[in-house]
Amino acid sequence: MNLTLVTTLWRQRLTSPVRMAILAMLSLMPLLGVAFMPGAGLALLGGAQGLILTLGAGMIGQDLSSGVLQLLFARRLRRPEYVVSRWLGVGAAAAVISLLQLAIACALLAGRGAVPTAQDILMFGGGRVLESFGGAAVLAFFSSLIGGFGDLGIYLLVNLGAGIVQMAGQVKQWLWLARAGAEISAALTPTIDLVRLVTVTPMPWYPIVSYASTVVLCLALAIVVVNRRELSYASG
Amino acid sequence: MPPVEPVASPSGSTRARPTVLLVAALALMVARVVTGIYEERHPTSVPDLVRWQPIEGAEAASREQKRPVLYDFTADWCLPCRAMQREVFGDPESAQEIERVFLPVRVLDRMREEGGNAPEVDSLQRRFRVSTFPTLVVVPHGGGDPVVIVGYRGKESTIQRLRAAQMEGLLPRAMRPPGGAVRGR
Repeated sequence: MNLTLVTTLWRQRLTSPVRMAILAMLSLMPLLGVAFMPGAGLALLGGAQGLILTLGAGMIGQDLSSGVLQLLFARRLRRPEYVVSRWLGVGAAAAVISLLQLAIACALLAGRGAVPTAQDILMFGGGRVLESFGGAAVLAFFSSLIGGFGDLGIYLLVNLGAGIVQMAGQVKQWLWLARAGAEISAALTPTIDLVRLVTVTPMPWYPIVSYASTVVLCLALAIVVVNRRELSYASG
Repeated sequence: MPPVEPVASPSGSTRARPTVLLVAALALMVARVVTGIYEERHPTSVPDLVRWQPIEGAEAASREQKRPVLYDFTADWCLPCRAMQREVFGDPESAQEIERVFLPVRVLDRMREEGGNAPEVDSLQRRFRVSTFPTLVVVPHGGGDPVVIVGYRGKESTIQRLRAAQMEGLLPRAMRPPGGAVRGR
């Protein structure tokens, strides 16, 4: 991991007014729900998908389009290190914001006399951290394929495609098709349901293996794609 | 351009084949398929000692047995639902009391996982205007307004509210609280 690359990414994100405005909206809206409907507990915070997309959109593609990649690699920065640093930067930023949001939600719930248990907080926080790094890996792969914010387009298209497949499976009553759609949709934001992991017996291994395989595969593919890119000033 | 420390590469190339990652990805994909098939055939379950009755015919059975129906509106992704299942329905004493007093019926929402619900699940959600999970609904066996309990605030609170709901159902209609249904939190 290259710490300079990670901090540079954070600085880029923090200085973008549009990203910051979207981040503020995505972080505060669920907190309003928690404040007014304490009975629903932490579930109203939802997932970290929006945060990951906002922080991660163009994580590699922007550098590709702007010519920064050429300059970085001219300095003999190793490509795998670049990809891993971008992934860690986005994942860590989404995880930190998620945990801050969780802390505020807990304070709000405590104020309304509906304090979640320590186990619930731990499970929810852990799930959000895993989701942050999982989603960032998927976005890193998409971002390596296309310049600019094209990764966001690919993400939305795949999500839409998965939804259509799922719906078609429902309409035709083909359970396998609906399941395939749900699997694709879930693979876009990989996470592990920690509550399920600790409450069911025997402990299921599929969610852990599934999460790890998606994250590792996406990172490996992102590195392969970045490796194959011919980047020079002449290439344009 | 960000100030990045140049990293020396023995070959001078910035490329490095992610062999370890690719092998790990392949191994994990194989493990994913194997564990997926295994767990499909040997499903895991959250401890739950309540013997849930099917939705169909539950209210008719409730009239026959003179026990109110307890609908548990839940979803697999819902954290408080899991907590309730573990702490209330997985507790031998509470489970026994629930089975003795109520006719328990679980109504599992699959909207998020499968994009839709069975018609009987949709119909019950519409009938009791369920928008939050968990929601417990007690329907008195003698007819009358249901008691709706929204959210989960711990085992003791849930048991107390269920007892109160059962008592309310036993009261003659004229003696029930005005407005009928209680939507509690």
